Amino acid sequence: MADSDNLRTKVKEDVIRIMAETLEISPEEITSDLAFNTDLPFDSLQLYEFVIDVEETYNIRLPDELLDQVKTVDDMIDVVMKLMKKA
Amino acid sequence: MLNEEEHMSEALTRIFENVVLTEEKSLQAGYFKDLSIAEMHTLTAIGPYEARTMTNTAEDLGITTGTLTVAIDRLVKKGYVHRERDKRDKRIVRISLTHNGKLACRMNSKFHRVLAKHILAGYDEKDRKHLLDLVDEVDRYVEQQLKRYDSSENVRATARQVATDTNKEKK
Repeated sequence: MADSDNLRTKVKEDVIRIMAETLEISPEEITSDLAFNTDLPFDSLQLYEFVIDVEETYNIRLPDELLDQVKTVDDMIDVVMKLMKKA
Repeated sequence: MLNEEEHMSEALTRIFENVVLTEEKSLQAGYFKDLSIAEMHTLTAIGPYEARTMTNTAEDLGITTGTLTVAIDRLVKKGYVHRERDKRDKRIVRISLTHNGKLACRMNSKFHRVLAKHILAGYDEKDRKHLLDLVDEVDRYVEQQLKRYDSSENVRATARQVATDTNKEKK
């Protein structure tokens, strides 16, 4: 359980760091409850830059069909965790 | 008034031409101005994940490996494709997309998805299913026609090869 918690913390840090780098904002401005559509200033190019960086970091695939279900930063962390377990 | 065959024929041709034209214009207006439609389709054939061989990619695109090599040279120079020789078998060349290549490929795929989404949005669930079934039928029929020509071309190519080999043997 502790391992799983540690992994989730690491994934959360990575996702937020990559997101902050893409959006050129401070990681402190990003919390896990923020929504992609309304709270985070992604344009479509930046969104794919972020997605590709996450894919390359964890060697996973995030196709559009899956991304459609991702509404918040927390959702993204959940999806990455799930895909890492499958890999 | 057009008869049904003319209506269908003209609509199919127009849809095909307009999708390609819109795709081309969206490329020119967007982030990837330095890519042609043909180059974008090459990136899509390579795909955003595993490296592919030149042979398989050329087959998917329906072009020769020679033609693909010229296209890949340009895409490598533009920074969209990474090319390397297989570590175990140096005869095999593997190609994959760079970060920018992946980005272009995914933006293009989004273009197609958005187009499809807007077309389907005008229908209720039952009509959407009906429309998709009909589109699938048209797709299957056209694909069958393509295969028919492909296989007749293969038969002709084999016949030409046999004739060439026979002539060589005679000499």
